[in-house]
Amino acid sequence: MVEISTIRVLLTAVACSCLGLPALAVDARSDVGTLDQAKAEKVFPGKRPYSPYADRSFPTRPLFGDTHLHTAASFDAGAFGARLTPRDAYRFARGEQIIASGGEPARLSRPLDFLVVADHSDNMGMFPDLFAGKAEVLSDPQAKTWYDMIKSGRGGEAALQIIMSFSAGTLPKSMIYGPETRPYKSAWQDTVKAAEEYNDPGRFTALIGYEWTSNTGGNNLHRNVILRDNGDKAEQIVPYTTMKPLGSDNPRDLWKWMQAYEDKTGGSVLAIAHNGNLSNGIMFPMIESFTGKPVDKEYVEERARWERLYEATQTKGDGETHPRLSPNDEFADFETWDFGNLDASVAKKPEMIEFEYARSALRNGLKLEAELGTNPYKFGMIGSSDAHTGLAAMEEDNFFGKTTPQEPSPERLTATFVSNPQTNIKVMDWQVSASGYAAVWAADNTREAIWDAMQRKETYATTGSRMMVRFFGGFDFEPADASNRNPGAIGYGKGVPMGGDLGPAPENKAPSFLVAALKDPIGANLDRYQIVKGWLDDKGETHEQVYNVVWGGDRKPDADGKLPSVGSTVDVGNATWTNTIGAPELIAVWTDPDFDPMQKAFYYGRVIEIPTPRWTAYDAKRFGTKPLEGTTMTMTERAYTSPIWYTP
Amino acid sequence: MVKRLLKEPLVHFFLIALAIFAMHGVVGDKSVPAPDVIVVTASKIEQMGSVFTKTWQRPPTGRELKGLIDDHVREEILVREALALGLDKDDTVIRRRLRQKMEFLVIDEADAPVPTDAELNVYLNAHPGAFETDPMLAFQQVFLNPERQGDAIARNAASTLEALATVPSTDPASLGDVTQLPPVVELTGKTAIAQMFGGEFAEALDKASVGQWIGPVASGFGLHLVRVTERKPGRLPALGDVRAAVMREWANDRRVALEDRRFAELLKRYDVTIENLAVAGIVP
Repeated sequence: MVEISTIRVLLTAVACSCLGLPALAVDARSDVGTLDQAKAEKVFPGKRPYSPYADRSFPTRPLFGDTHLHTAASFDAGAFGARLTPRDAYRFARGEQIIASGGEPARLSRPLDFLVVADHSDNMGMFPDLFAGKAEVLSDPQAKTWYDMIKSGRGGEAALQIIMSFSAGTLPKSMIYGPETRPYKSAWQDTVKAAEEYNDPGRFTALIGYEWTSNTGGNNLHRNVILRDNGDKAEQIVPYTTMKPLGSDNPRDLWKWMQAYEDKTGGSVLAIAHNGNLSNGIMFPMIESFTGKPVDKEYVEERARWERLYEATQTKGDGETHPRLSPNDEFADFETWDFGNLDASVAKKPEMIEFEYARSALRNGLKLEAELGTNPYKFGMIGSSDAHTGLAAMEEDNFFGKTTPQEPSPERLTATFVSNPQTNIKVMDWQVSASGYAAVWAADNTREAIWDAMQRKETYATTGSRMMVRFFGGFDFEPADASNRNPGAIGYGKGVPMGGDLGPAPENKAPSFLVAALKDPIGANLDRYQIVKGWLDDKGETHEQVYNVVWGGDRKPDADGKLPSVGSTVDVGNATWTNTIGAPELIAVWTDPDFDPMQKAFYYGRVIEIPTPRWTAYDAKRFGTKPLEGTTMTMTERAYTSPIWYTP
Repeated sequence: MVKRLLKEPLVHFFLIALAIFAMHGVVGDKSVPAPDVIVVTASKIEQMGSVFTKTWQRPPTGRELKGLIDDHVREEILVREALALGLDKDDTVIRRRLRQKMEFLVIDEADAPVPTDAELNVYLNAHPGAFETDPMLAFQQVFLNPERQGDAIARNAASTLEALATVPSTDPASLGDVTQLPPVVELTGKTAIAQMFGGEFAEALDKASVGQWIGPVASGFGLHLVRVTERKPGRLPALGDVRAAVMREWANDRRVALEDRRFAELLKRYDVTIENLAVAGIVP
């Protein structure tokens, strides 16, 4: 921890001295104390260059990517009919047109800046072999049955059975590719090789990673594991699996594996959890599901160390918060998936929800920090796709689905995605969300720079839009800073960026925040920029509050701070909208009006776009299909920044 | 050299093989007339020997080689019997294996050759778009926000442009609306400019002449007056700088082309009729 904090101080100091802005009058605060002007000038001497842009070391635009994309090498993606390889996935992400597994030509509106192909480690490479009918795999009668189903066009059904069988731990032996086997190693080596081929520093980054898919009892504890390193280090290991005896479904064992990776290779690795909404109450525990005991010191320290980010939005539902947890938040019910666990084998109970969503975890993290000295849930936010198609295509008007059967077709508006007759749970394809992407404030488009920005949590989640969002916290922002033409320079100079730390507060000062957002250059206008605050009171209870900070158009909030709706220009029938409401950019300085310097708190930004057609509206229009009753046809894209934490 | 090393033990293999076959001939049951002939050719034995050598890092002993040959004969007989019984027909596994083998055949062919520099150069020059470096542009911009300007935006754009064009000392930062879009952009690739300002804006910028204020140029944000201060056109890099990328694209193209050509050749031999398109829900 100390090392990371030191880096942050240095970064802040570099920003101050290089920019040579009036910011030098401001001290750079961090959680290891205060770097004052005199010290900073000693370490970084130099006069202010004439050009305000010379030596500018902070990024002027965020990099957009997907940290969670599956290809045919993932056993379930393969079963669902995905044929695209990691190489195809990189080609598509960097902007090329390719043919999707379903036969449709596909292309992004513009390239992404980076991609992590994160195939499931368990059984990596098994499915291509099953599909190819390898005799070794088909030696088991159950495997043979599934093989025949796939061949007779019932691949989707087979896929669900295979995934359920994997969840239940009843996969036939011939279909288990353990980490010690040759085919497993080959699959990993091919993944690494593909990333090496397509990694193009400065233009397109292919980060090496995989997904560790802990899913006992159908409860989702999945993590994506992302390496900072190149192939030479990645090839020294094989990905960690969940199947015993070589793997484990307990995150503590994954963290040990991560430590072992760093020890062995001298490299660096982080993990990003996702879909707490399908964990049935065990993603952000206060009581560990594996022991039934309260989380202990080791748990909170290790989790804080390895799990730097959380994937807060993706195709299988949004994970920021839930309407039950945030009844006063009018935007809380967004792409909500709260039917049960991943395989729909156990229905959701209300008491599970608190331990499944990002905002409540950030709150409980403050509690645990007060108790155990470390906040295990001090994570930054990113969004990603979790698409199993090899296609990171998450735009509403260009959505290629979560799985291959969900690639564009007249059927997908009415088809069923998950159905479990035992629990009576049914999820339709239309409920799948065209979300999201990861935005990273990295100064260079390289593995190292992107990974380092993730490690310091200078990231935000978007639900598929590429809006540019800045969020800085400090004690000295003034309203005039919002009319500066260079919010980046002011922000880094006077405060800390998203993912940073504040505190303790100088006497009689409350934290102030410089917030700024620019709409997606080809997307919709912005409705509002909000700050979500959570805090721990002196009785040990947590609270949350959403503040409207700046908004488009001439609207006045009421006495409770509630802002009238921005309205809607969406023509659902034609799947169109206009940018005649909202604003192309928003910027403001906000000071916490309810600040108590003795209370731990976190603040994060949430930017909401004006309403636009949901992918279902584009499908209804293009295919002329009638949507099922109750289908959501409009939506408001949004972004969630990593929090800034205040610690007294 | 490798070949020479391999060959020496192989001489022994041939001799041993001959001996074994002579024995088969002597010992074998002669009462049943030979329905078929199985000849284990010298090159087959050589192949089995070299596979063994590759696997075990040593040549097989005489006993081991006999085992290999016996096993081959057994397999050959059983396969012929199975084929005679028609066991290969209608077996999905075998059909898919055959298909896969055909496809692998093509991939192997595509993987096999290493292109010469001359070939790569030809490829590079034939696909300049894939390898050309991004054009780099430096520019200044003054932004007019439609939300703030309202109906006056076109008029204000014209008067601002005039001020910029006629009074060179005008500080662009004093004009237009405050925005988070950078007022000055140092040399930056066109793709990155498009990521920030939108593709049409980047195109317009790339066409503007250097040094002059022009506009208004529209983007998704509003209107801009722009002055390109420097342009570095994209250029085709030398092969040495992009060899890995050219090699990757060359191999990928070759694989796709081979697969297509191969399949087109095969398709010529068939007359394909597909019935009942309507039932499948496909409109031809």
